[in-house]
Amino acid sequence: MIEVINFSKHYGDFTAVDHLSFSIGRGEIFGFIGPNGAGKSTTIRFLATLLRPTAGEGRIAGHSVTEDPMAVRRVIGFMPDDFGVYDGMKVWEFLDFFAVAYEIPRAARRRVIGEVLELLDLSHKRDDYVNGLSKGMKQRLCLAKTLVHDPPVLILDEPASGLDPRARLEMKALLVELKKMGKTILVSSHILSELADFCTSIGVIERGRLLAAGSIRDIQRQIRTHRVLKVELTEGETDRAAAILQADGSIRSVEAYGRSITAEFHGGDEDMGRLLSRLMGDGVPVRSFAEEPLSLEEVFMMITKGIVN
Amino acid sequence: MWMRENPVLNRELLTTLRSPRSFVLQFAYVAVLGILVYFYWPAGVDDESRMVGPGVAKRLYDIFFLGQFCLVALMAPTFAAGSITGEKERKTYEMLLVSPLKPHTIVIGKLLSSLSYLVILILSSLPLMILCYLLGGLLLSEIARSYVVLILAAGTFGLLSLACSSAFSRTSSALVVSYLVVLPLAAVSVALTRADDPSTRDFASVAVLPPICLMIWTVVGIVVNGRLLRPTDVGGQGGGVVDEEEEMKYAIGVVIDREAFPDRLFAPAKRTDLMPDGTNPVLDKELRSEIFSQGTLMLRVVIQVSMLLSIPLMAGLLFLRSDLAGYYVAYVVTFNLLVGPVFSAGSITQERERQTLALLLTTLLTPGRIVLAKLWAAMRVSTVLTFLLTEQILLAYIMLPELRNRFWTLGVFLLIIAVTCLTTSAAGLMCSALARRTSTALVLSYMTLLALFVLPIGVTWYLQGVSEDLHIAPGALAVLRITSPYAAAASVPMHTFQGADRWTTGNLEVVAPPSAIFPGGVDIPVWACFLVACPLIGLLFAGVACLVFRWKWWRAGDGL
Repeated sequence: MIEVINFSKHYGDFTAVDHLSFSIGRGEIFGFIGPNGAGKSTTIRFLATLLRPTAGEGRIAGHSVTEDPMAVRRVIGFMPDDFGVYDGMKVWEFLDFFAVAYEIPRAARRRVIGEVLELLDLSHKRDDYVNGLSKGMKQRLCLAKTLVHDPPVLILDEPASGLDPRARLEMKALLVELKKMGKTILVSSHILSELADFCTSIGVIERGRLLAAGSIRDIQRQIRTHRVLKVELTEGETDRAAAILQADGSIRSVEAYGRSITAEFHGGDEDMGRLLSRLMGDGVPVRSFAEEPLSLEEVFMMITKGIVN
Repeated sequence: MWMRENPVLNRELLTTLRSPRSFVLQFAYVAVLGILVYFYWPAGVDDESRMVGPGVAKRLYDIFFLGQFCLVALMAPTFAAGSITGEKERKTYEMLLVSPLKPHTIVIGKLLSSLSYLVILILSSLPLMILCYLLGGLLLSEIARSYVVLILAAGTFGLLSLACSSAFSRTSSALVVSYLVVLPLAAVSVALTRADDPSTRDFASVAVLPPICLMIWTVVGIVVNGRLLRPTDVGGQGGGVVDEEEEMKYAIGVVIDREAFPDRLFAPAKRTDLMPDGTNPVLDKELRSEIFSQGTLMLRVVIQVSMLLSIPLMAGLLFLRSDLAGYYVAYVVTFNLLVGPVFSAGSITQERERQTLALLLTTLLTPGRIVLAKLWAAMRVSTVLTFLLTEQILLAYIMLPELRNRFWTLGVFLLIIAVTCLTTSAAGLMCSALARRTSTALVLSYMTLLALFVLPIGVTWYLQGVSEDLHIAPGALAVLRITSPYAAAASVPMHTFQGADRWTTGNLEVVAPPSAIFPGGVDIPVWACFLVACPLIGLLFAGVACLVFRWKWWRAGDGL
């Protein structure tokens, strides 16, 4: 649905994005992650037809971003990272303005505006002035604006930046809802925990270069040199349990804190079962025994430290 | 603390005066003045074509003094009106207010920093003015007096503009209101200091102007100080919402009623339901929502001040001396020159500044629809406001017999005003597409329009001094003025003043000013040339605006 082919953008001597290529399939949610200034917004603005590339091409739903921007604008809903609102307009007027700008006939507009207000939980703010809304409400309003023409592709640049924790969770729930509606979503963020739960794939960008792209599981598998086992005990027999684990050939190192033990594990699933039976057989009071997944933060840190590539 | 350790002053001086642009501008300024002197300077014995007449030094002095006075009246607001609104627009105003700096330190820092460059420019002309003195016919005291007046004017105009800057939230609003206050004061000051009698001139310059200026400085200083000490709500949550009805309750003077004529022409009532199909949403937004988005204060002040000024001008230029009706038209044109760009120079830059341009560009609206809507909205507002001042002309033509018989001149005057409205709005729009900030766009549009409207008159005036030497006919000089609405208004043939018996006279003696004589001997009145040339220039500006918007912004620019 979205394809970026060898996109580069230079500002004088500075290279903002360097030969970036990735693609996003229909119905996917692609999390675009990277530190501030990595080139996320540059790439997103290029896809939103707002930035001329130095080289490369982008295609959305088969339309060229550079050759046919009008066709692209028809199929995308774009929410910039920093945006303003028109002064002196009410919420419904703001949405009506964009609905007319997207050529939605008057007969359908009333229904569409009602639906997006309902979806974004803004119905009670319908007659409020937009420049009086809180930051969270403005973010919702902007998302509502991107949905008025029911685009199949959503390009959202840092949709949750600057929001309080509650608004952040609500924004996350909204994106999950949009995913259920079958939208293809490209969403960027530098706060990784925002994306981990619902992204079907991610792209990691730093200094204008794509370091890794694919599903979170694939990337985790790609970068993982070992697995991490976490064992929790009900009573304080930590030293004995640590000694049992240390003695096993699949364990390289063990660290114990209070009643929990973390071990670097280099075996398969059978080895893991064997280890658990052994602990139980030796009468160690195990409360939980599980592999600790790598968080997106850890994945990101490992990638950007150069472990991959 | 006020001067040497004033961080506001130091910061502004460092950022403005050390830029290469400042140096280049000063060099260009002195070079232009130098060229003006050079062509008036007597040649050596070998070349007898250039002679020093008794009036040459006086003419040069007039050009220098009036030119620099215009510069002060035009540039002081440009520098000072954005000094506090600029902080507001950059969202650094709160930081400045909560700092331990005392309000008067901020005011003095802002004032001195905005005027320092202007004062340096004025003083850099002093050596050239001394050259004029060497030509003879001028007193040193005359030159000293003119510099005192210039410096006093710079301080007063700067402080008044600073007061406007502290009252408004946008530079464009502060700038236009500053001009409306400053320009009438400038006209009065020039009239006082250029009286024919030298003793009156000296008395006005030394005994009248300084105390009046001191009084204005004190009062305005206290007002601005108080405003900085106890600021009104600065950008709080919901603070940006303007409640028109609430604001109108406390409004003094003009009350704008969006339902009533003629107010609904420039500010149609807000919609209560969805837009009909086929509406241009940008035009609808501009007219119904954006016009009062910063409050109604600017519009009310503009209407009040312009109406107030029109009363004495109407009395003097229409009813007492109806042969000077063209000068009243010049006032209306000046009003439009000030107000026209205000509504169009922010059309595109403001979308960038408040970060709505990306939202607008990713819709299906074509650049042509966006730009035309912006032009139409801006032109409609400024044209309606300008034509409010033409009621007085209509009244004069209905009431005065000497005008009533020559109704076609009314048509010409109204056409001149209408064409000016188109050009000023289009120039503002073009500069808005070219510049990155509204304040830059506004200043750029004023410069463009002054170059088009006023500069030709100045050039003609200067050339008249050497026209005999260079064998330039008055008709050829008139060609230079065809882009100026002032020249066009003055070129409409009017009757001669016949004293008190003019009411009874049946036969009017009409004098036609010199026509423009084009190469090949084609002879066309200046106003007719203007009515053809100026709309073409306006359309050219609009076309450039459209193309620049399309290629710079709409068709994927290099970043918003």
